Amino acid sequence: MTTKQPSSDSAVKHRHRPEGPQRHIVVFVFSVVLTLIAFAAVAAGGVNATFAIILLLVMAVLQVFLQMGFWMHLKDKGHMLPIIFMLGGFFIAGTCIVMALYWVWWD
Amino acid sequence: MAHAAQSLQPSQPLQPGHSAKRHTGLMDWITTVDHKKIAILYLWAGGLFFGIGGLEAILIRIQLIKPMNTFLDAQTFNELITMHGTTMIFLGVMPVIFALMNAVIPLQIGARDVAFPFLNSLGFWTFLFGGLLLNLSWVMGGAPDAGWTAYTPLSSTGYSPSHGVDFYTIGLQIAGLGTLIGGINFLATIITMRAPGMSFMRMPMFAWATFITSAIILFAFPAVTVGLVLLTFDRILDANFFNVAGGGNPVLWQHIFWIFGHPEVYILILPAFGIISEVIPTFSRKRLFGYSSMVFATILIAFLGFMVWAHHMFTTGLGPVANALFSVSTMLIAVPTGIKIFNWLFTMWGGQVRFTTPNLFAAGFIPTFTMGGVTGVMLASAPADFQFHDTYFVVAHFHYVIVGGLVLGLFAGLHYWWPKMFGRMLSESLGKWTFWTFIIGFHLTFFVQHFLGLMGMQRRVFTYLPNQQFDTLNLVSTVGAFLMGVGMIIFLVNVFLTSRRPADAPEDPWEDGRTLEWTIPSPPPEYNFKQTPLVRGLDAFWKEKMAGHKAMTPAEPIGPIHMPSATILPFLMSVGIFIAGLGFMFSRDEFSSSIMSFLFNNYIVTALGLLITFGSMLMRSLFDDHGWHIEPEELEGR
Repeated sequence: MTTKQPSSDSAVKHRHRPEGPQRHIVVFVFSVVLTLIAFAAVAAGGVNATFAIILLLVMAVLQVFLQMGFWMHLKDKGHMLPIIFMLGGFFIAGTCIVMALYWVWWD
Repeated sequence: MAHAAQSLQPSQPLQPGHSAKRHTGLMDWITTVDHKKIAILYLWAGGLFFGIGGLEAILIRIQLIKPMNTFLDAQTFNELITMHGTTMIFLGVMPVIFALMNAVIPLQIGARDVAFPFLNSLGFWTFLFGGLLLNLSWVMGGAPDAGWTAYTPLSSTGYSPSHGVDFYTIGLQIAGLGTLIGGINFLATIITMRAPGMSFMRMPMFAWATFITSAIILFAFPAVTVGLVLLTFDRILDANFFNVAGGGNPVLWQHIFWIFGHPEVYILILPAFGIISEVIPTFSRKRLFGYSSMVFATILIAFLGFMVWAHHMFTTGLGPVANALFSVSTMLIAVPTGIKIFNWLFTMWGGQVRFTTPNLFAAGFIPTFTMGGVTGVMLASAPADFQFHDTYFVVAHFHYVIVGGLVLGLFAGLHYWWPKMFGRMLSESLGKWTFWTFIIGFHLTFFVQHFLGLMGMQRRVFTYLPNQQFDTLNLVSTVGAFLMGVGMIIFLVNVFLTSRRPADAPEDPWEDGRTLEWTIPSPPPEYNFKQTPLVRGLDAFWKEKMAGHKAMTPAEPIGPIHMPSATILPFLMSVGIFIAGLGFMFSRDEFSSSIMSFLFNNYIVTALGLLITFGSMLMRSLFDDHGWHIEPEELEGR
């Protein structure tokens, strides 16, 4: 950043008021637990393969939400534009991948 | 490599006559991170490639001037059409778009530079070295010859065994890196660096167009990046992504290419829409009609632009349901585009219209682009497309939207902002000559191609038989192409003559400027705004003028201005990527000299290039560069 913008600087400071480590520790533990569940489902053996895949996907999606929301600060105020851009990107990429794969391999 | 400026700490008290190292001459251009200088670099480099692409077009038209012509052979013709399309789109018009964005966007939003000046420089140099790599193919064993779309399997090693297509994949990969960097930079700039008071809905339309264009770049370029990587792997490392014999699928390339390629045409046209939306209100002395509908039309076009790629592939056998869906989504784009056309007309209606050169180009843009849009809707109809596909009707259509739309828009923008970029007004009379020769030449060249296509002349054929009623129309088309060339030459003469006149353009040379760039000197000082202006409405400068003020209200007291340091690292990074690309391309070749074989076949050249690039990145990471300050005394002393 090259320009000094005092007004927006102070706004940023207000937005990122330190909120203490507790919540981040909880989220970190939760992330580790999610990872352990995913590992256990595969490592334990005997788990139905289809069930394991679905479980892994669910764990992955939860993990993404935790990472984005807490570590990337998307849950905080003032992050509407990144959220819009990410959702837009997911939507466009998802549409393109699904359609192209459908035509190339199954149609 | 390390700079004197790097040792500068912001806390260090600075004497007037700052200690930042100043480069001069060539070194200044190579190391600059100033958006205004990078804009000029983009303009010259883009202009050079535009000239090369234009010469290629002239050669193509000479070959097609009469039936069974032997001016060029088929191979050269294929190379020329491939390079004409690729050069014009990626290396000609996109850099000129970036030139105008760089020159104007920070000024329009009241900022002192872009968000990431270092990246801005890196984006330019990667583009330039990518473009140079692609054009090196002419002297290094033959240019790419598989069309600008490089459809597989034609572009696979089976049908294109020479290195031509490798130059295409690796050159575009490197140039595309620059575009992606530029797009991200403008997104960050527009989101974070607007002047106080400039909400999103007070942004000038060109800033909006740049914002949306950058978003499309962000989403579309990764697709072509992936596609080019896959094609490179197929060609150099014997992968099988598009190879049927190895279980691959050639149609996959078409999907990937057009998932990028269709948004790409909106990357090209939206900035032109933005330019026209600046020029027409200025020379109509009226605010833009339907500003908010313009904004939403732009967003809608960008969104729909991603949902229509398969209309390039109607004839590949997607099936009637898919063809119908993509027909409808394609026709939908005509709605927001139509909104824009009518808004421009309503802006002119009742205004005090002055036909200066920029406004002539803008006024010429509207009907010309509309004609291209109408043939677009015709092509969107899948059953009709089975007739039009791969004929000159398609060639006429996309030249109407790209040349009749984008290039006229760029000419409007260049004439409009030239005094702001260079401090000199271009000659109005020569500008009008440029307009009339160019637009008459344009319609002569491409209007007749609609009929050539409908009569069955296929695109990409290097010659045709006599007595199929193609002869006269092709002659007319070639004459038109020469007239367009004359228009370009008049423009170059205009630029040359103008450069020899004193730089005496006032701050607001068109006298009816509406936006912030017209509140500062032409050309602006390196810090742009001595004090960041306070924006009190759409068309901020016009609003102050109407309130009887001569200048903007400042939003801050005069203080030291923080400036980024000049650096050669972006240049070195790009040189490294260029060397690595060349090394990788020839890594499987057999050389007559054993030293060459050793260097290339063991990836030593590639490693050397990457070493330069990553070494420069390491330098950038290890040595903090805090930039330097311009002190208030110095600002006042001017």
